[in-house]
Amino acid sequence: MITTIAWRNIWRNKTRSIVIMTSVALGLWAGAFIAALYWGMGQERMRIAIENEIAHLQVHAPDFTLEFTNIPAIANVNELTAQITAMQGVKAVSARTIAMGMLATATGSAGIQINGIEPNAEAATSQLKSKLKEGTYFETKKTNTVLVGAKLAKKLKLKLNSKVVLTFQDKEDNLVSAAFRVEGIYQSYNTALDERNVYVPITTLNNLLGLQHEAHEVAVLLQSDDLTPSVKAALAAQNPALKVQDWKEISPETGLILSTMGQASMVFVVIILLALAFGIINTMLMAVLERTREIGVLMALGMNKLKLFAMILTETFMLVMVGCPFGLLLAWAVIQLLARKGIDLTAIAGQTMQDFGFSNVIYPGLPASQYLQIVILVVITAVVSAFFPAIRALRLRPVEAIRG
Amino acid sequence: MDTVIDAHNISKVYNPDTIPVHAVNNVHLHVERGEFTALVGPSGSGKTTLLNILGGLDHPTSGNVVINGTDITHLGSNKLIDFRLHNIGFVFQSFNLIPVLTARENVEFIMLLQNVPKKERDQRVVALLNEVGLSDKMDVRPAQLSGGQQQRVAVARALASKPQFILADEPTANLDSASAFNLLDIMAKLNREENMTFIFSTHDQRVIERARRVITLVDGSIASDTAQTKTD
Repeated sequence: MITTIAWRNIWRNKTRSIVIMTSVALGLWAGAFIAALYWGMGQERMRIAIENEIAHLQVHAPDFTLEFTNIPAIANVNELTAQITAMQGVKAVSARTIAMGMLATATGSAGIQINGIEPNAEAATSQLKSKLKEGTYFETKKTNTVLVGAKLAKKLKLKLNSKVVLTFQDKEDNLVSAAFRVEGIYQSYNTALDERNVYVPITTLNNLLGLQHEAHEVAVLLQSDDLTPSVKAALAAQNPALKVQDWKEISPETGLILSTMGQASMVFVVIILLALAFGIINTMLMAVLERTREIGVLMALGMNKLKLFAMILTETFMLVMVGCPFGLLLAWAVIQLLARKGIDLTAIAGQTMQDFGFSNVIYPGLPASQYLQIVILVVITAVVSAFFPAIRALRLRPVEAIRG
Repeated sequence: MDTVIDAHNISKVYNPDTIPVHAVNNVHLHVERGEFTALVGPSGSGKTTLLNILGGLDHPTSGNVVINGTDITHLGSNKLIDFRLHNIGFVFQSFNLIPVLTARENVEFIMLLQNVPKKERDQRVVALLNEVGLSDKMDVRPAQLSGGQQQRVAVARALASKPQFILADEPTANLDSASAFNLLDIMAKLNREENMTFIFSTHDQRVIERARRVITLVDGSIASDTAQTKTD
């Protein structure tokens, strides 16, 4: 009967109830949409990090550090790449040689990271080839060709076929300089990386560094993100002398961004729900004050405080829960639509997003667990919002309430 | 005789610290089962306050009220609510039915609070609404009932909990003559046939004439307490 009374009470003032239900629906939609936007940005950043920069796993020599100074090399790298390629769940493997150095032109210079890559293996592992904006991807017969980022090219006024001199230290710490021609200009989603990374054939760089059958890094792309822990464990077990790290270890800032974005979106959701809570409290308080006499009668007739509390709580809960599915449905529909179309922020954000390693197009998305999390927050909001009006009702004395 | 209410030295003072108002003044009252008693007196004489105290809706400033052997004066809030639920039926001047419930549900509601089994509830609801002549209005909400019909539902609701007695505060005040007579007939019949005790406050001469005992309050004190032989 408490449920019946609560439900019918909601519809006594239809307009007011519909307004609060709509607020709940819109609040939920807004909360879910913001969470989806953040989640989408985080996922996009993760995808960029995995597919363009790091891959799922990287293998280094045991004393490798992220400082990139005196990078130790892995011996017999061809055997290692063959072994990894044969592992289950591995999609592509690419050996890389890395040298920190200087790129100089007739007009200027810049500090850079020189990446020696196997063109075909790298094309399968990262999206470098697909990010080529101008020129070709190591297709000329020349060995001293280089791919530079669009940002660096703009900064140093580089064009296709421009001559650049790369200077770095070889294996024996001797200073080595070599001239290269710009074969291609690429543009990834991360302009900061574009500005400081150049790519040359691994054989060319290894010759200059004095390395033979060696590489500094082996990047491993997996068929699925979920395989990362298992393949990492298997790889580490098979190669105890090497250091196997996943993308979160290589790029802790990406992991941090993901968790920070999750927290930030929840802060927004909580702020929205807090605003909603005040609306609910106001509505329910009005409902209680309007029904002072009726509540007094209920108490006079023998409805105890627990049941009265339950009635107000049920009423608030129902008020919120009627709006909840509409909000969720609306959020789901909008998120599904935009997850396919994407939200292009180029007009608003320009290059800013890419400067921080994000794509200009965001594809919102929200896993089921986050929908559930939002629903739980809404339920908590409803219950907490009901407390104040319910306590107000409990404080009524029947004799005074009936007197009005 | 079976004592239902035994009130000793009841006083109620409002604003004791500022301008004291003695709403009820040293009232002694003894009510036996089966009485049909009217509390009469001018406005402000303390009728409603006394009824509220007898019904456990208000606490006296001094004195005590014993109902069916239980001193309700010092019962805690929740125990008092529970006591009212099982022992006292109320009929209010403005009916005070729950507007979102039908006549049937309004009567059933009390029994639900008492955890009466469904089958028993259903039977009793039908019997009670039949008794007050509203068997054809069971599924109608209060807003669609006339004042007289609403008050009859209120009487059925008051009876639903099988109380020791029913307190009715000006039950005919908002009713036309025909409805008032009809209600009085029903109350008198319940009193006569089921020995239900009724105590009602009233200004209404028609009601006073039907009472078997008339207690007159003046300035919070009992001015007279007379038995009437002429009843319905």
